[in-house]
Amino acid sequence: MAIHKIILASFIVYLMIQFSHGATKERLFSDLEKDALDVTAKPSRQGVLDAGIDKLSITWKLSSTAKKQANFTTIKVKLCYAPVSQVDRPWRKTENELFKDKTCPHKIITRAYNKSSQSFKYTLDRDIPTGTYFVRTYAVDAKDHEVAFGQSTNEAKTTNLFSVQAISGRHKSLDIASVCFSVFSVLALLVFFVNEKRKAKLEQRK
Amino acid sequence: MRNFQRYIYATKNYSENLKELKAKRLEKNKTHVLCQEERVFFSRLLGTIMAHHNEDEGSIGTSMHGVTAREQVFSFSVQGEDDGPSSHTVRFDDPTAKFALPVDSEHRATAFKPFSFAKPHMRAFHLGWISFFTCFISTFAAAPLVPIIRDNLDLTKSDIGNAGVASVSGAIFSRLAMGAVCDLLGARYGTAFLLMLSAPTVFSMSFVSDAGGYLSVRFMIGFCLATFVSCQYWTSVMFNGKIIGLVNGCAGGWGDMGGGVTQLLMPMVFHVIKLAGATPFTAWRIAFFIPGFLQVIMGILVLTLGQDLPDGNLSTLQKRGAVSKDKFTKVFWYAVLNYRTYVLFLLYGFSMGIEMTINNVISEYFFDRFQLELHTAGMIAASFGMANFFARPLGGYASDISARFFGMRGRLWTLWILQTSGGIFCVWLGRATSLPIAILSMMLFSVGVQAACGAIFGIVPFVSRRSLGLISGLTGAGGNFGSGLTQLIFFSSSKFHTADGLSLMGIMGMIFTLLVAFIHFPQWGSMFFGPTSDEKKSKEEHYYAAEWTEEEKRQGLHEGSLKFAENSRSERGRKAASDGSSPSTPPENGNPAHV
Repeated sequence: MAIHKIILASFIVYLMIQFSHGATKERLFSDLEKDALDVTAKPSRQGVLDAGIDKLSITWKLSSTAKKQANFTTIKVKLCYAPVSQVDRPWRKTENELFKDKTCPHKIITRAYNKSSQSFKYTLDRDIPTGTYFVRTYAVDAKDHEVAFGQSTNEAKTTNLFSVQAISGRHKSLDIASVCFSVFSVLALLVFFVNEKRKAKLEQRK
Repeated sequence: MRNFQRYIYATKNYSENLKELKAKRLEKNKTHVLCQEERVFFSRLLGTIMAHHNEDEGSIGTSMHGVTAREQVFSFSVQGEDDGPSSHTVRFDDPTAKFALPVDSEHRATAFKPFSFAKPHMRAFHLGWISFFTCFISTFAAAPLVPIIRDNLDLTKSDIGNAGVASVSGAIFSRLAMGAVCDLLGARYGTAFLLMLSAPTVFSMSFVSDAGGYLSVRFMIGFCLATFVSCQYWTSVMFNGKIIGLVNGCAGGWGDMGGGVTQLLMPMVFHVIKLAGATPFTAWRIAFFIPGFLQVIMGILVLTLGQDLPDGNLSTLQKRGAVSKDKFTKVFWYAVLNYRTYVLFLLYGFSMGIEMTINNVISEYFFDRFQLELHTAGMIAASFGMANFFARPLGGYASDISARFFGMRGRLWTLWILQTSGGIFCVWLGRATSLPIAILSMMLFSVGVQAACGAIFGIVPFVSRRSLGLISGLTGAGGNFGSGLTQLIFFSSSKFHTADGLSLMGIMGMIFTLLVAFIHFPQWGSMFFGPTSDEKKSKEEHYYAAEWTEEEKRQGLHEGSLKFAENSRSERGRKAASDGSSPSTPPENGNPAHV
């Protein structure tokens, strides 16, 4: 019984710890240095871009107003949702706590920090959903904590946005296979049914 | 022959007929070989007798199970003429030795051996519950893949929520219709029709390209949840009333596990297909072929390996003898008039209904809230549904134990306790901000709510004897209704965070669970009140015989209800046992018709 009491007690203590867990530091987006990097994202063509096909020309460089550049070790470039693509979709919500923030889920590229202007030609991944986007770059320090950021749009996220159309994921071969199996299923059932009715009739006649 | 025609038009009381015939036989001093008309007459008579004696405790349809008429001539040697309704003693030519399990006179098994696949009883059990399990997999297959599907189809939260509502709504109607379908076609074809006609809907996920398509496909797939009815019907036909509670509890619980297994299966299949080279937006469509294949395979297995009735298949047996049923209008009327039907409808809506809602939302919830991988979220979500394996039978068992001591009042309190604690843990789950707490609360919540499902079906058999099948079906439909309702209110709009939705759903569940207090039986009382003091009304016989009109009582159609009433005296609890005036064994039906 003693061991049971110990297990129960440690379990309760563990629960207590969990409950009071909220006391750790949460890194906030509002603490990051704004516009530390000048970012441009130029679509390869006008209109709605096709995922998997069209490209983005992304360039970034240190902004003249930047202050914390001494800490920059890596630059993470990400594709982010514009507000219009976040409506009624809480899994894309913008939160101030960085670990909860879901605005920028799609990684484009990660590169070591370099003072000079950098560029990258990004082909839109085939799993990018339909939506309106902009590009943001996070400057990360040696502890892998975000320190500053820059984005290709303004603070209200209304300018320089581009739209992407996702792939449908459908394939002709898939459609045909689906139809074949469906027909097989219905036919098999009918065959069994008719056969049994026929056998029953024969037996009755006997 | 003319003598015999006199018999037909004479009395309606079969036992008198039997006595007269025996007298005639003894007169002639030889065994009377029945001619064609006599054979048909007596087979119908026997059929009706057997139907009303065993029409049961667990019967979903209102027709006779175990159609008895045979082609062989009845060599009329009736033993035990004073047995009245029990025609068990009439010997048939077929020895029961050909069955692997011990059987009663209707050839229904009296033992339950879960590890056996013997024909026809255990085979029917396994085919039944696995078909139901497969349909649960298909219905909830989309849920763990929603994080991928919502990106592919550009869904909003309302789209996802509405599709979830649609996925459980179709079964409300198909479950109600299924009883009649099984009566007409037999359990085999009922199951096979559902499996094989809904397989195309599962395959058609590959065509879906927007929210509307997604919703319609999920709606159509949802119809196959009526396999619960065909599964329960099949086991009720194959197993004796004394063990039908355990059998149906296992079939129901193990079938419900499908909702948990799918949360594990679909992400795994999706992952494997992605590894094989497909992009995510194609991989999830291919993943849907797996439940589709399972359905087709099960359909074929049911048709080839299964058997409608212990003695053969329905079509063959129907051609030989008469099938008599109770009138559907009567059964419907008595189900609708009984207020307890509606209470149980709502109660089940907040136990099974909540369970099905969780099946639809929990994987996405863990994925989003705790930033987990798809298959990790799936694993956690799966453990919710898998608890059904023991939680549901446990609920039924708890109900039975409490009935042994406290009678029906014990059952009602057990139900209230289980369902309310389920609600409390659901609230806790919504409040939990760390993963271990969330998992712990979810597991406790799953046991509470699934055991409550089992406990509800410890009460359903006592609500009505005549309309048991329909009330079981209505209660089951209530589960789907509750699921649709909770998804619509709490998980279809951006008004609530999913976490808040969970907590509010728990609170709503607890409020509706208070309805248990309104279930009152005149012969046994309720949670807070004892049985009525009225001498006549406090008898079980009065309650169950009230479902038959005077005319029907004169025809002796209510004999089965009377026998049931006598057996149900154990619901008085310890008092009944100490009285020594009633059988202390639990009623024949135990915990039948678990959904």
